[in-house]
Amino acid sequence: MVSRVRRVIGGLARFDLRRFVIGGLLWLPVHVIPLAGGLLLQRVLDQISGQREAGLGATLWLCAAFVGVELVRGVVMMTAWTYGVYWWDAAATLVRGNVLRSVLTGREPAAARLPDSSGEAVSRLRDDVSGVVDTTDEFVNLAGALLFGVAAVWIMMSIDPVVTVVLVLPMLVIAVLSRLMQGLIRRLHGRARELGGAVTGFVGDVFTGVLAIKAAGAEGAAVERLREHNRRRRDAAVKDRLATDMLDTATGATVEISIGLMLLLSAAAMRRGDFTVGDLALFTLYLSWLTELPRAVGTLLARLPQAAVATERLRRLLSADEDVAGLTRTPGVWFHREPPEPAPAPDGDRLELLEVEGLTARPGNDPLADGGVTDAGLTVPRGSFTVVTGAVGAGKTTLVRALLGLVPATGTIRWNGRPVGEPGLFMVPGRVSYAGQVPRLFSATLRENLLLGAEDGGRVDRALERAVLERDLAEMPDGLETVIGTRGLRLSGGQAQRAAVARALARDPQLLVVDDVSSALDVATEELLWERIARATRDGSGPAALLVVSHRPAVLRRADRIVVLDRGRVVGSGPLDELLGSCPEMRRLWDGHGTLDAGPRTDAGHRA
Amino acid sequence: MVTLTGREARGEATGRASGKPPSVRGLVLGELRPGRRAGVALAVAVVAMTALPLAAPYLTRAFVDEALAGAGTGRLGLLAVWFLAVAVAGQAARLVTAWLASGLAWDAGNRVRERLTRHALGLDMGYHGRRTPGEMIERVDGDVAALTDFAVAFLLDVVAGVLLLFGMLAVVVTIDPRLGAVLLAYCLLLGYGMVRAQRRTVPSGSRSREASAVLYGHMEERLAAAEDIRANGAGEHTVRSFHRVSSAWYRAERRDAFVGTGVIAGTSVAFAAGTALMLALAAWFASSGALSVGTAVLLLQYTLMVRTPFERLIGRLREYQDALAGAARIGGLLAERPRVTAPPAPVPLPENGPLGVEFQGVGFRYPDEDGSGERVLSDVTFALAPGETLGLVGRTGAGKTTIGRLVLRHYDPVAGSVRVGGADLRDTDPAELHRRLCVVTQDVQILPGSVRDNLTLFRPVSDDAPLAAALTAAGLGEWLERLPRGLDTELAGGQRAGLSAGQAQLLALARAFLARPGVVVLDEASSRLDPATERLVEDGVDRLLAGRTGILIAHRLSSLARVDKVAVVAGGRVVEFGSREELAADPGSRFAGMLRQAEVAW
Repeated sequence: MVSRVRRVIGGLARFDLRRFVIGGLLWLPVHVIPLAGGLLLQRVLDQISGQREAGLGATLWLCAAFVGVELVRGVVMMTAWTYGVYWWDAAATLVRGNVLRSVLTGREPAAARLPDSSGEAVSRLRDDVSGVVDTTDEFVNLAGALLFGVAAVWIMMSIDPVVTVVLVLPMLVIAVLSRLMQGLIRRLHGRARELGGAVTGFVGDVFTGVLAIKAAGAEGAAVERLREHNRRRRDAAVKDRLATDMLDTATGATVEISIGLMLLLSAAAMRRGDFTVGDLALFTLYLSWLTELPRAVGTLLARLPQAAVATERLRRLLSADEDVAGLTRTPGVWFHREPPEPAPAPDGDRLELLEVEGLTARPGNDPLADGGVTDAGLTVPRGSFTVVTGAVGAGKTTLVRALLGLVPATGTIRWNGRPVGEPGLFMVPGRVSYAGQVPRLFSATLRENLLLGAEDGGRVDRALERAVLERDLAEMPDGLETVIGTRGLRLSGGQAQRAAVARALARDPQLLVVDDVSSALDVATEELLWERIARATRDGSGPAALLVVSHRPAVLRRADRIVVLDRGRVVGSGPLDELLGSCPEMRRLWDGHGTLDAGPRTDAGHRA
Repeated sequence: MVTLTGREARGEATGRASGKPPSVRGLVLGELRPGRRAGVALAVAVVAMTALPLAAPYLTRAFVDEALAGAGTGRLGLLAVWFLAVAVAGQAARLVTAWLASGLAWDAGNRVRERLTRHALGLDMGYHGRRTPGEMIERVDGDVAALTDFAVAFLLDVVAGVLLLFGMLAVVVTIDPRLGAVLLAYCLLLGYGMVRAQRRTVPSGSRSREASAVLYGHMEERLAAAEDIRANGAGEHTVRSFHRVSSAWYRAERRDAFVGTGVIAGTSVAFAAGTALMLALAAWFASSGALSVGTAVLLLQYTLMVRTPFERLIGRLREYQDALAGAARIGGLLAERPRVTAPPAPVPLPENGPLGVEFQGVGFRYPDEDGSGERVLSDVTFALAPGETLGLVGRTGAGKTTIGRLVLRHYDPVAGSVRVGGADLRDTDPAELHRRLCVVTQDVQILPGSVRDNLTLFRPVSDDAPLAAALTAAGLGEWLERLPRGLDTELAGGQRAGLSAGQAQLLALARAFLARPGVVVLDEASSRLDPATERLVEDGVDRLLAGRTGILIAHRLSSLARVDKVAVVAGGRVVEFGSREELAADPGSRFAGMLRQAEVAW
């Protein structure tokens, strides 16, 4: 793990070595310039005390020079920082871009590596990436602090070697102390966070189960339990804070102790006039800056293990066949010019027959999770309309996701008789396109959402008409340029679902795969949608074949063939009439339509 | 003990409901005020942490002046030791203050958390229906933490910082009024300048934060849509658009870095100018013999000390706004009143046995934020004798679930009345109602904790026998025997907690058995269980409904075999109501039509 983090840090330092080195060299003076400030103050005080002969005018000039030195430092700092922002942001973008590319185009299915919530994935790309880049950046700080330290100690030695040696000792003590306490602090911090998580988790559970608690009249007991959680967390949090403050105090106290020691040791020399008031001021000033060095060492030592954990978490987002070097691979960063155009999708690979055998898959990593499929098989010939149906949790969505290579699966898929090696890389446009059950659209124009970078050439209009969106489009304020998605104009559930179908149609696929769209579409609209798509399939201008998940009677009647799933297994396949005779599960599902959830949900706005 | 805290909670709610509305900020800040002894200890610590650092430079002054005057080494050594003691004690005082303050802040924060939780639990289900648990966590924990963190920082940085600055000014004025005047003018100018500079950074800072919000939002959207993007071959295109957004983010960051470091550099120069100014004055006064060298050293140390409190003071300005906003949100939650309230003299429900249920001309619409809303029930009328079981059938959205919610008095109807056990629900005490009415929902919430906690919902029990009996009645008797630590076995919590969907259903039934309600509202699970578990659940439901009034929200016609009465719901109305057998026998009824279509026989 340590060698991995070393490779990532090395990669980040090297991907734009010129900027990293120049940025570092610009930053070093920021640490070193305070040496000059100390020397100036030394002279000023020596002149005030009369230990160095000079007129008042000369002293005032030195005071002005002190301000001038700080001014120079300020200008250098602004230059170095502004220059360094490029490297920092470029390094972060490099890692994020590599992870994103791997998630979206890598060999292994994204579902196998992405954490459960996309928020969690984003926080890795934000915090873990920041952590790794900061750690690399920290080396520059350490170099600066080291340079200052060496020079400062050299100057102090030339003034009074004995006092200097004695003063450096407390610095070493806090370096060791902070190293020792780091483990304890991390442990206490971890414990406080864990107990904090217990409190928020408990509050979340209480309000999720608020109905059960009210029904049991257990409000008081729940608050009592919260109080116990709170008490445990309080103790841990106060300890955590105390330990962190103690380390800070130790650092602050070291400076004070050093100054006290210096006074004690220099008393005799001062009386003799060997150790001047100016020397006293210089030592005082340098001492407080010197604590920067143990702090920089401590920070880096604390950051490295965290960076190793962050690296590991980021690596897990990469495809299994990529190693950690993939995080800092350099396809480039485009802050100043347009990124290059991606290669256009290959032309359609004409579909004659799709065969699936022995497909077994589990969504997520939980082997016990509902909705897996076991040993499923189906065939989709050119020109066919195939419907996958089954009860809630029967594995319909998993079946199509496995077929598309979106979840890890075993089994055989053959495209025109040729076995497909990597469905995730093969079952894509121009062969296959997909509209999922929960449509995911972006905060962008409708046109961008539908094309996703593809050439238009009439695709959009065609797709909009087939997905029955043309009337909705006419009502949008800016037509295709209307910004939709989470932060733009919100589409209704039905519009979003039809937009997802239109997006899939706009890829001009051979096989169109559509997961259940009925949840937000009324029967008439869905009928029209299938009518238009099926007509396009017949006249050869649309997808060559359709694979659709649905439980709507109208769609089942339209299908050439139906695949019935029950608890993850295919329990029947064939035309509807035949299945109604031979497959009990098909009959059960068909009968259920009389009263079951056949209509669009209108109660969805109010949670139970 | 349980009933006591429960009554306390209710008493508090009704007491405040009848009194005048509390001042929101006063209410929250009042909780933060420490007790008398703690307050005194804290004040002493704060004074020590400001006075000691002010005293230390006095000792260096004496040291320098006496050393130059040729004092003995022993005397100088003593001064040095004193300096050591005072300086270290100053650091220790700061540590003690921080420790005291954080302990007090946690105690106060936890009091607010508990109060908020108790208050929110007393609100009606209509309130909770509109809020996610995440929002409640943010109110109960996030906002409170922001507030208490700020309170600690305020004490350590703002109060202590201001005290230190005033102390310093006072000391310098006593040394030389002219120096004091200059230092005061400098501090005022510096403070004004820093606040102005801080304001200058706000626009570029918020632009930069906005740009990162856009960047992370962009990534979040794309990662959430990873499968749509992959399956539609748009991976490379998406990476390209990520690079574009990153470029905009970089430009915002660069601009912010320029402004931000400009302010930092400007501040450093301003502090250097202050140091230089004091030293120049010291040199001037010293040249005329009006000021000792030791005093010059003292002034140098003071000007070096000014920096930290100033920076911390300015830094807290931004957090102040956030903390106030958090306090306002907390106050908003505390000011929230339940829409479903207990009348002054509630009508008691019969303590034991099944209760009748009666709907009379009930109309209902969900309360929207603006008070309007679509009507979901109109003129619903039916009556159920004690012990009878009603099956509600109809499409999703027809109003079945809403009828169930009105029985449980999650809401009050907008027209007509709902009566349970002969009493209009509006005349009953919601807390008592919750004890006599019970609901078993589809999505069972398993809490992290032991099996016992999940049954009792944290109420202390003296005897495990009723718990085991409830589990057995629900059909989980064998399961309980197989558990390694029995009732103390920990469940993981979350959606499934290591239980199968069927076991979770059975656990919910066991909770209902334990409650011994007079009316059970059962929202049947629509997901399919394996046949063995399905039978267990059905048996458990049969036992639960025996001797109780039951309302079954049915998703399968076959489940209706156990009901006495059937209500067919469509478009928010009960379009058919009657005995199941009679309706099934009447070929003209809708219910009989459904049965024919489904070919269900009983």
